[in-house]
Amino acid sequence: MVRAQTRDRECWHCSARTGLALVCGQCEAPQPLAAGVDLFAVLGLRRRLVVDPDDLERRYHEASRAVHPDRHQTAGERDRTFSLAASAAVNRAYRTLRDPIARGRYWLELHGTPLGERNNEVPPALAELVFETQEQLADLRGASDPVAARRGVETTLSDLDARLRALVAELEARYAAWDAAGGETPDALAELKRRLSEIAYLNTLRDDVDETLDSLGSS
Amino acid sequence: MDRVVGIDLGTTNSLVAILEDGGPRVLPDPDTGARLLPSAVSFLPDGEVVVGERARHQLAAEHPLDTILSVKRFMGLGPEHVTAEDRRRYRFVEGASGVVRFLAGGRERTPPEVSAYVLRELRRWAERALGEPVSKAVVTVPAYFNDSQRQATKDAGRLAGLEILRLVNEPTAAALAYGLDQGAEGTVAVYDLGGGTFDISILKLRAGIFEVLATNGDTRLGGDDLDTRIADLLLAELTPQLAEHPQIRSQVLAMAERAKRALSDQSQTELELVTPDGKPIRRIIQREEFEERVRDLVERTARPCWQALKDAGVEPADIGEVVAVGGSTRVPLVRRTMEAIFGRVPLTSIDPDEVVALGAGIQAGILIGGRRDMLLLDVIPLSLGIETMGGVFTRLIDRNVTIPVSVKENFTTAVDNQTSVDVHVLQGERELASDNRSLARFSIPIEPQPAGVPRLDMTFLVDANGILSVTATDLRTGRERTVEVKPSYGLTDEQIEQMLEESFDHAEDDVQQRQLREARVDADTILHATRTSLEKHGQSLEPDEAACIDRAVTALAAARDGEDHLRIRECYDELSQATEPLARRIMDVALREAVEGRSLEEL
Repeated sequence: MVRAQTRDRECWHCSARTGLALVCGQCEAPQPLAAGVDLFAVLGLRRRLVVDPDDLERRYHEASRAVHPDRHQTAGERDRTFSLAASAAVNRAYRTLRDPIARGRYWLELHGTPLGERNNEVPPALAELVFETQEQLADLRGASDPVAARRGVETTLSDLDARLRALVAELEARYAAWDAAGGETPDALAELKRRLSEIAYLNTLRDDVDETLDSLGSS
Repeated sequence: MDRVVGIDLGTTNSLVAILEDGGPRVLPDPDTGARLLPSAVSFLPDGEVVVGERARHQLAAEHPLDTILSVKRFMGLGPEHVTAEDRRRYRFVEGASGVVRFLAGGRERTPPEVSAYVLRELRRWAERALGEPVSKAVVTVPAYFNDSQRQATKDAGRLAGLEILRLVNEPTAAALAYGLDQGAEGTVAVYDLGGGTFDISILKLRAGIFEVLATNGDTRLGGDDLDTRIADLLLAELTPQLAEHPQIRSQVLAMAERAKRALSDQSQTELELVTPDGKPIRRIIQREEFEERVRDLVERTARPCWQALKDAGVEPADIGEVVAVGGSTRVPLVRRTMEAIFGRVPLTSIDPDEVVALGAGIQAGILIGGRRDMLLLDVIPLSLGIETMGGVFTRLIDRNVTIPVSVKENFTTAVDNQTSVDVHVLQGERELASDNRSLARFSIPIEPQPAGVPRLDMTFLVDANGILSVTATDLRTGRERTVEVKPSYGLTDEQIEQMLEESFDHAEDDVQQRQLREARVDADTILHATRTSLEKHGQSLEPDEAACIDRAVTALAAARDGEDHLRIRECYDELSQATEPLARRIMDVALREAVEGRSLEEL
């Protein structure tokens, strides 16, 4: 319903039909963001979990050339206000869609089941890994042989990185499958949520390890 | 559309440039041809304000406390950020809150007011060079400048009668100049060691789009700090009283700066200071000693570089080019450090002192539609957020996110019948609010209701200049309004208006002062020329001619010491008429001598 409305939009400046376009095709005036337009639509994409990075960048650059405030500096105040808002939306769309994790989280939001800010429960699949890592960090802090302990944590860090890469690769494989059939089903959304919270948990752990190494490295 | 100039408002030097068909061009001082304007402002006891070369090289030694040499270091800061070293160099108004205030030339001056003098001088250069009024500019700022520092720069523009259309980050501007020069593609690192600030930016260049991936830096590290280390070597050889003497310190600092330059090409140099009692003090510095003295400072640039690479998600091996910006990148140790970090020899084909201004000129051209093929996508250098329960800093916008960026946050109340929602906005990377830089506080009135009932949407928007604005919408009434943000370390609109009014009041005085000074210089020139000519050729004049010249000389000399520039001009014209017979005689003699085969030099 929202779509039907926005398709009929007219340019505020020259009254040409603009549809969902960010700038008027006729007079180049930036348009206010249509209500209900998602971040995929901002860059002219259909809602799909798989995104081709090169295509995305091309669209981003093209949209930026059209809406960026630098392009509308000499226009009136209204043009500049819309340009600013449209440009912020384009930046947000690119930032969100280029990263498979941010894109997955946004997908959950779009379907009304956001991941939530902080999830302190250890995902069962990671319990062992988390426990080991915490122990290693504790060892490092009170180590009699700091060099060896440090080497141990460095190994853990690269293990964590490898694990994260694997999880993200698996996630992207699932994206392709879901795009083929049913990325919006409750089962798919539940699985997406589980996978994303695992990744989020591991990411936090990884950053903790990294920070600990940094702080020890400088002393 | 008016012409838009690009300005590099530097810690040490400032420049103005413009984009023309052939490319960007620096506009020089119309009087001397100098391309760099020292960012030095002297406030003399008689009210005269001197900007540039004379302030830096003469008045800084004569009136050290009234000559502000690196005002940029104080932009957007509060009195609590002033260091002990700063206090040794300048006088500050004590007990003031909000923005830093210098006490110079007997008056309080905020950093934007001081900067405005530099901008006004550059504006004059540009107007003389272009032959038309200039009222719009693109001004560069260190990439790592926070919101307050950017806002202060915009305020300086307003005070100088310049509308700042865009603030551009210095390293990005430099990349723009190189990109235009070389049509470069790929990933580029810009290492910018300016007079007072250090910036590192990693950019991706593709088909005319300059996308900043990450930026980092230190706004309190620059070439000035290297000078200070050299100066300390000489000051250590003086008695404590002399070493603390502002005039001596200022002289030694200027000497140290020259020594730093010399040591870029030579392996040693000598500092020599003559103390007030006439005793010369000499100190030889070897390049190795200099490098030992400043190594820790130069090494401090490495960490921001690593962080920027990490944030950009690139390895040093991915970097296609490294661009050197800022005069201090001429120091061999700095070059070697850059090479060690990025594993490649830096690009220096564009003068590192001019490259930022040239980039600013290009950006000015982009804004007026002169370069549709190029576009800059820059980032916010520091995370932006608000203080939440327990003094925690909650990030709303992460650092290195592309600007413009906006974030909407939902606010409600924690206690019953709360009548306002108070918001404290900060910028920085630390976990605790108090460890970050406070940008602004504001309060949004709401109708008293039970806790949790009011719903307020707040949109934090950072524009293409990296400057924040906030709008709040009361979801119950749907009323939207722009929030009046009271800057923690900045000037309010009213304060700027007041300063502008005061400067209009003084504007007529300023013009009069200027005309008086110019008339006096012209008077001195003609009086000197007349006296020299009279000595040589006076005997060839008729007595009434001589008397006439005499009267005109006396009249002009008297007028010259007066305050009326029109009277000086009058007497000047009279003298120049009265000396016509004398000039004719000189010509006659010259011709006769020439005919008789004697050279003019023998006269």
